[in-house]
Amino acid sequence: MGHPRVDAIVQQAREAVAAAQSSAELEAVRVGVLGRQGALTQLLRSLGTLPPDERPLVGSAANEAKRELEGLLDARLAATHETERQAERSRRRLDLTLPGRRPPRGSLHPLTRVHDEIVAIFAGLGFSVAEGPEIETDYHNFEALNIPRDHPARDMQDTLYLSESTLLRTHTSPVQIRTMLAQKPPVRIIVPGRVYRRDVADMSHSPMFHQVEGLAVDRGITMADLKGTLELFAREMFGPRSRIRFRPSFFPFTEPSAEVDVLCFVCLGDGCRLCKQGGWLEILGSGMVHPQVLRNVGYDPEEVTGWAFGMGIDRIAMLKYGIDDLRLFFENDLRFLRQFA
Amino acid sequence: MKILYGWVREFVDLRLTAAQAADRLINAGIEVASVTPLAPDWKGVVVGEIEAIERELGESHGHRLLVCRVSTGRERYAVVCGAPNTKVGARAAFAPPGAVLPGGRRIGSAKIHRVESQGMLCSEQELGIGEEHDAGILLLDGARPGTDLIAALGLDDHVLEVEITPNRPDCLSVMGIARELSALTGARFRPPAVALKESGDAARSLARVRIEAPDLCHRFTARVVSGVTVGPSPGWLRARLRAVGLRPISNVVDATNYVLWELGQPLHAYDYDRVADGTIVVRRARAGERFTTLDGQERPLDGSMLLIADPRQAIGLAGVMGGANTEVTAGTSRVLLESAWFAPASIRRTSRALGLRTDAAYRFERGADVEALVTASARAAGLIAELAGGTIARGVVDAYPRKRKPQRIRLRMARVKRVLGVAPSTAQARKILTGLGLPVKTRGADLEVVVPSFRRDVSMEDDLVEEIIRVWGYDRIPSTLPGGAIALVTYPPNLRQSQTVRRALVGAGLAEVIAYSFSDPARAALFRRPSDGAPVELLNPLSQDASWLRSHPLEGVLGAVAINVRRQQPDVRVFEVGKTYGRGGGGDAGTIEPRWVTIALTGARGEPGWSGGQERADVYDAKGLAEHVLEALGVRASTGESGALGGFEPDCHGTLVTESGAVLAEFGEVAATLRESLGIPTPVFAAAVSLDAAAAVVPAPTRYQALPRFPAVERDLAFVVVGDQMLTAARIESALREAAGPLLRRLVLFDVFRFPDGRSSLAWRLLFQAEDRTLTDDEVNAIQERVVRRITETFHITLRSG
Repeated sequence: MGHPRVDAIVQQAREAVAAAQSSAELEAVRVGVLGRQGALTQLLRSLGTLPPDERPLVGSAANEAKRELEGLLDARLAATHETERQAERSRRRLDLTLPGRRPPRGSLHPLTRVHDEIVAIFAGLGFSVAEGPEIETDYHNFEALNIPRDHPARDMQDTLYLSESTLLRTHTSPVQIRTMLAQKPPVRIIVPGRVYRRDVADMSHSPMFHQVEGLAVDRGITMADLKGTLELFAREMFGPRSRIRFRPSFFPFTEPSAEVDVLCFVCLGDGCRLCKQGGWLEILGSGMVHPQVLRNVGYDPEEVTGWAFGMGIDRIAMLKYGIDDLRLFFENDLRFLRQFA
Repeated sequence: MKILYGWVREFVDLRLTAAQAADRLINAGIEVASVTPLAPDWKGVVVGEIEAIERELGESHGHRLLVCRVSTGRERYAVVCGAPNTKVGARAAFAPPGAVLPGGRRIGSAKIHRVESQGMLCSEQELGIGEEHDAGILLLDGARPGTDLIAALGLDDHVLEVEITPNRPDCLSVMGIARELSALTGARFRPPAVALKESGDAARSLARVRIEAPDLCHRFTARVVSGVTVGPSPGWLRARLRAVGLRPISNVVDATNYVLWELGQPLHAYDYDRVADGTIVVRRARAGERFTTLDGQERPLDGSMLLIADPRQAIGLAGVMGGANTEVTAGTSRVLLESAWFAPASIRRTSRALGLRTDAAYRFERGADVEALVTASARAAGLIAELAGGTIARGVVDAYPRKRKPQRIRLRMARVKRVLGVAPSTAQARKILTGLGLPVKTRGADLEVVVPSFRRDVSMEDDLVEEIIRVWGYDRIPSTLPGGAIALVTYPPNLRQSQTVRRALVGAGLAEVIAYSFSDPARAALFRRPSDGAPVELLNPLSQDASWLRSHPLEGVLGAVAINVRRQQPDVRVFEVGKTYGRGGGGDAGTIEPRWVTIALTGARGEPGWSGGQERADVYDAKGLAEHVLEALGVRASTGESGALGGFEPDCHGTLVTESGAVLAEFGEVAATLRESLGIPTPVFAAAVSLDAAAAVVPAPTRYQALPRFPAVERDLAFVVVGDQMLTAARIESALREAAGPLLRRLVLFDVFRFPDGRSSLAWRLLFQAEDRTLTDDEVNAIQERVVRRITETFHITLRSG
């Protein structure tokens, strides 16, 4: 078959492959034979120095030998690699029960989570988001909302004042006024924000808390629309079996006014600790925008009607997560906050 | 307000239990907080008649001890009693052997002065319904012997605790609640019938009324009852007053309080003989005038306050409290009874200014019924005559300068539908309004209501809409969704910005906190610099330590660090998206509310675990997080000079600035004095990014750049800086950049090493790449030599070899 010069190289290479102990030694053999300076490569390169009649013979024998040796080396290398990996595996003995190396885990404040959830639900219903200052004028917070000075309705919201005419807003309702003064109807907004009352902090009171105000003003808006909208909201927020109930109430800036309860989502109305056996949870106040409020912002109550509601983000977060003390929100204990990662 | 259900039922024929009635009220917007049975804490106590006093046993504690024969109708008992009001023929509370008094005290037969006493005659104190010690036994004139005491006192009843919204003063009375229940159930309403026996002089000849402030007092009436005997009220009346939370005082005063509760009209009884000339003058107080109210307090008045006076002196603080100088006392024999109407706002101002909140003021400031006050006065006069004897002078002195004009309101049934989305039939609506005591006339398809004086809250058409749906039932309102045009939902830029920031920092492993906006001035002083503007102070803070609004952005997060460190959480990584508050700006409140995201770190950099995270956080973490926030907001920032905020260590306080030098953020190590005052033992690193400053930067639009097509060449250069040189990494870096020229694609400071002798080594990796060719070694070597020469010559530092 071959050619004596080729056969000698092949024979030597076969022996070296057989003797090799590791992939590194096999690589050395490959370099020695097939590498740039390897024996076979050199031989192929020196073909031109041979007599013309020998060239095809040596050439084809060398090429055949190259194929053979490559096959041999590849097979041995594969086998050796596998053996070596095997050895490596038994050496490193991984304990995969060790905890994974996680990126540091942050957490959103529970009030932010509920805030985002409420905003998303109402955005889906076509409500834009509006904001306003926390330090308000008495006019925007009270007067324009039909709560004149020396009116007993001011007792409903004990107020922190900065001066005779400026205060920390007691509700997000002044943004109703600011928005309606700034634009013509139709209006469809929600207003999330921080509000203040002169209440000593305890399990269910806080001098600072958060509200979301809703306002829809247009031709043909009715209290039935308020009910339908809040029903949808309750189902999104508290689950598909959620129901709501309207009770008459009084707010100076709405007429008629309604307190809204949601069916207790723990007991579904049977009575439990969360709803204090009542079966219902009070979640918000609402009503049809008072015609005087509409007139105060230059709207014509014969032309448009509207409704408004205000709910406590903190209260809803307490219900949703089963938090029994309002003060936890503002204490910022990491063991509390980390539960909302 | 506490209301007795049995009292309510005197005015309306109801077949509901107290709990059922409460439900009806709640569904109509009258909040009932609780329904509680009165259930006094005793058993077996009955009415006993003292038939005879059989003998005297001598004295004990200054009282004569008597042996009485007490009958319960069926049986007779020998009872020892030492009460001063023991008399033959009296009917009194009697606990026969076997009865149980409050506290589980079981009554048997006891030997007193060697005489067997079979049971005991009881005082109010012993029954747990009165506090007075020496008041004697509880007398029950006219009660049938043997009657259970609970029934005899009318205590087999329930208390409804109602919470009346400020718009419904008409419901601040037993009668008002009865009228409401009548409207809700259709049960017949029976207002109290007042039949008055008047005799003798005409009231007009005894009393005169002059109203000098008709704007504040629309009506003032006076009656006179002569020949009264002031003393304690009978047991049933005292029990009823106590049950609703009032303190019995004397028969005359109790009568006025009883009528206040029953009809809602505040009344006041003056000792007629101490009112000069029997003449009442209703006038404003004079500047500097002082007045002593019934409670003995001398009060400074101002010209806005309304007084009841006689020609000589003030005798009452109108609508709030009477005066000590004309108080009804044991010696009073003639009573002048006031029933009046005062302007709500004026009463409210006076009552608040003096800190004097009374039942009378509470009603007047919500609005009394100007037409009902004559009836109330008659009811009280009748009760006084019944309880204290005496004769009622004929007629009433009635000064009514500003007669009320009844308002008519047109109610369009179409409006009902427009507001509610649903409407009852006209007939149904008419029935509801009539039931509420609102007289209705039909006007075509619509209704017209003449508003009665007791419904001050009803002043426009939509008020009637509410009345209709309140009674008809809110559950009849259907559920629909608002129609109308669809508009694009928009968000304020602030909201988007804070959401971006929150996402970035939560992703970086920080916990979001929300802290109070209030600030403690003592603590704020540690944060503030002399140049800081005036803080925003509260006029009426809840406490001194929350009397400012916070003026330094780090107050919130540092508070959060402090509380966690105190609670054994030494590793804290928190942020807050919040505001500070200051004076200034163009807003209508004259204040500004700058927005910030603030970051505070102490303890470990990560979450310590088996594979690291134990390294301590340092200032570069705070800086890096600030840079991270700005990057997330698309704002380019570079390191600037030391900042303006107080509260940082002077040598560890830097800023991030825009290209034009505007400060975007400040970062550094929190001043040791500050954190120590907060009780934090470990170094705290913090950053405050101004969201307003970041919002003012227009982020560069995102543009694609072609990927490099030719290979890059990397070179590392390390320089040794002598410690005392004022040479910063930033200066070297900018010189490097300039010297390297346009082929420098990337420059990273990848190693900083400090030698023990104070010198530092700073190592940069430079990446060179051309857009149009493969760079040769020679080309890059030439650039490198130029860079090294420039840096070593400019800064007199050396290249680190090896």
